[in-house]
Amino acid sequence: MRGLAERAQKLSPSPTLSVDTKAKELLRQGEKVINFGAGEPDFDTPEHIKEAAKRALDQGFTKYTPVAGILPLREAICEKLYRDNQLEYSPDEIVVSCGAKHSLYNALQVLLNPGDEVIIPVPYWTSYPEQVKLAGGVPVFVPTTPENDFKLRPEDLRAAVTPRTRLLILNSPANPTGSVYRREELIGLAEVALEADLWILSDEIYEKLIYDGMEHVSIAALDPEVKKRTVVVNGVSKAYAMTGWRIGYAAAPRPVAQAMINLQSHSTSNPASVAQAAALAALKGPQEPVESMRQAFQKRRDFIWQHLNSLPGVRCPKPLGAFYVFPEVSGLLGRRLKGREIASASDLALFLLEEIKVATVAGAAFGDDHYLRFSYALRLEDIEEGMQRFKELLEAAL
Amino acid sequence: MPAVAKRVKNLPPYLFARIERLIAEKRAAGVDVISLGIGDPDEPTPEHIREEAKRQLEIPENHRYPTSVGLPAFRQAVARYYARRFGVELNPEREVVTLIGSKEGIAHIAWCYLDAGEVALVPDPSYPVYAGGTILAGGEPYYLPLLPENGFLPRLEDVPTEVARRAKILFLNYPNNPTAAVASSSFFAEVVAFAREFDLLVCHDAAYVEVAFDGYRPSSFLATPGAKEVGIEFGSLSKPYNMTGWRLGWAAGKEEAVEVLGRLKSNIDSGVFQPIQYAGIKALDGPQECVKEMNALYQLRRDLAVAAFREMGWKIDPPKATFYLWLPVPSGFTSESFAEYLVEEAGVVVTPGTGYGRHGEGFFRVSLTLPTERLQEALVRMKRVLGKVSF
Ligand SMILES: Cc1ncc(COP(=O)(O)O)c(C=O)c1O
Ligand SMILES: Cc1ncc(COP(=O)(O)O)c(C=O)c1O
Repeated sequence: MRGLAERAQKLSPSPTLSVDTKAKELLRQGEKVINFGAGEPDFDTPEHIKEAAKRALDQGFTKYTPVAGILPLREAICEKLYRDNQLEYSPDEIVVSCGAKHSLYNALQVLLNPGDEVIIPVPYWTSYPEQVKLAGGVPVFVPTTPENDFKLRPEDLRAAVTPRTRLLILNSPANPTGSVYRREELIGLAEVALEADLWILSDEIYEKLIYDGMEHVSIAALDPEVKKRTVVVNGVSKAYAMTGWRIGYAAAPRPVAQAMINLQSHSTSNPASVAQAAALAALKGPQEPVESMRQAFQKRRDFIWQHLNSLPGVRCPKPLGAFYVFPEVSGLLGRRLKGREIASASDLALFLLEEIKVATVAGAAFGDDHYLRFSYALRLEDIEEGMQRFKELLEAAL
Repeated sequence: MPAVAKRVKNLPPYLFARIERLIAEKRAAGVDVISLGIGDPDEPTPEHIREEAKRQLEIPENHRYPTSVGLPAFRQAVARYYARRFGVELNPEREVVTLIGSKEGIAHIAWCYLDAGEVALVPDPSYPVYAGGTILAGGEPYYLPLLPENGFLPRLEDVPTEVARRAKILFLNYPNNPTAAVASSSFFAEVVAFAREFDLLVCHDAAYVEVAFDGYRPSSFLATPGAKEVGIEFGSLSKPYNMTGWRLGWAAGKEEAVEVLGRLKSNIDSGVFQPIQYAGIKALDGPQECVKEMNALYQLRRDLAVAAFREMGWKIDPPKATFYLWLPVPSGFTSESFAEYLVEEAGVVVTPGTGYGRHGEGFFRVSLTLPTERLQEALVRMKRVLGKVSF
């Protein structure tokens, strides 16, 4: 049998999930693992959303739907984008897919030609580079620093642009850092994108999880010229504790949206009808559950962030969004802890899992292995317990 | 605005724009247009399957990310189905991957095997996704004509050796959409030998393997000796269980192909909502009366339709499987002009054969997935405008 396609040989499995899998395995063995690895809210999907799904099933809403999603859902998305983001789209500029991840994939597939360069600020969400490569694109990694809250500056962007640059991926609020871009910062980036004739892929999946009175700004809303070159990606996963349901969406200029629909008609067709019914209820229904989750997350963030910063060798800027803290752990690297060589954050993550059954994700998955990602999508008591274990370990080992 | 990527521009153009416009015009003018064009079962998903989904979506664990390759329990149910139905042993961990509808796997397998310029053998006529996936991956379809005189099976011996050598994938689909043809186990054996000789991956689409009549039970390609070493099969819950909207299917067979599809998928999506997978388990493991009932209904419609077409002058045998009829257009028409004529004169939509490839010219497809009275009404209207046809 002759080989696989080159792109398939180079493909790596999604790394954040594999850490999660390992932790889950220990859990199954009855170990009390504190899992800071999760990339999803620990809340249940709100009741009214489940009810809507059941109603749809009762009514036999089980056939193919339009590939881009049912019209009422696309209309509800337009209303949401207008209400929350001051963005005006028509339903034929909306494409509903199997999660924001799938929306990002579809967008990259229709925007990139082989050899096109894509600017990805580091640290990044782990799927971006693989998805760019799957579209034949070339990831160009641009580092950011904790001093600057891990945000790309216009001068960083300008310096990275070449004649081959085609697209910039922006993610605010961000995974893994929790950073949130302010309006002025986005204006600076948008100016460079306009100058250099770039597409912007704006991943806004964590929009609703934002703290300390910060405001989420969609870069597409800055100016009609920016909107014309932006694909906005969002979804219901994080805001409504619906990660399992697999509904995300993209809003894009009509030719791009139509190309994405065409592509999707050749791959997955419509997202699951029952999940569309649920997403519609999420967007149209009461928004209080979102706010109460947000408040719970903010409390946890306050606790974990303070705690981590009080540990020796660990420091991090205060995250303003999403549900992650991303401390630099350089101070703990290059040492022996309990007789083990800890050269990288990956070593440290493994050490923590094995020594104190605390699961985190090493920064390697996000492009910089001097960091650990702690998710705070777990109960406050568990966060406290995990922090206690970490503290005691460091006291004993250092 | 910068332009969209070339790969999407290379997709075959949408053929039915004129007919769609005609249909829209007719509907706007108040004509009650009847469509025989859509391959989507008209009945809802059986209740026991829907109830299982409702029960499962209450469970908080199911609100969390699934894995992209699917629940072990679903893959085990697929393995049980293969063992029970076809006598095929599958390792659920390594030889089965869950898909967002079988279409997803069909579309992405070319991504796994084809580099730019490499060839996939694609039947013509066929389900458009074989060529579509190939083109999106930068590969080149080489078309294998499916002709009535060969029972709509490709003549593998006619594939030029140098093409067969360059090819990496062979797509097949039996029972077949759009021709309703079926394949024998001796044909499948020939396919295995051909795949061995030219070192190809066989991708068999078994979407209609449960939709069959008169006691006929189509076989799985994987039941052919040696098939698992050279091929994978795409299965779908869509047609037998009226689950098109749920988007659930699988790929099973050759371990390497299953593994790489799973790895590719983990970068594209995060799998299927678990209540949907549990509903799929219920469908596969549960009572199969619903499948028998649906098939009985399609058989009744098939018989009605065959009788009506014979009365109009078509010489046809009732198809053994699928819910399609694939018929030649009467003399004086092309596929497209015939379809347009029927919309215009009878308010009836059929699919022009050219929608499935060049060799679909001269044919049209009728789908039986509409309420029986509507089908009868469509046939009456066709009789009225066509009278007796000649070829
Ligand atoms: C930055 C970012 N974008 C997109 C996604 C995918 O979200 P969805 O569940 O809608 O596919 C995630 C999920 O972890 C994420 O962190
Ligand atoms: C031949 C064939 N294969 C596959 C499919 C796709 O089925 P699914 O709903 O499983 O994606 C269809 C649907 O029309 C089909 O006709």
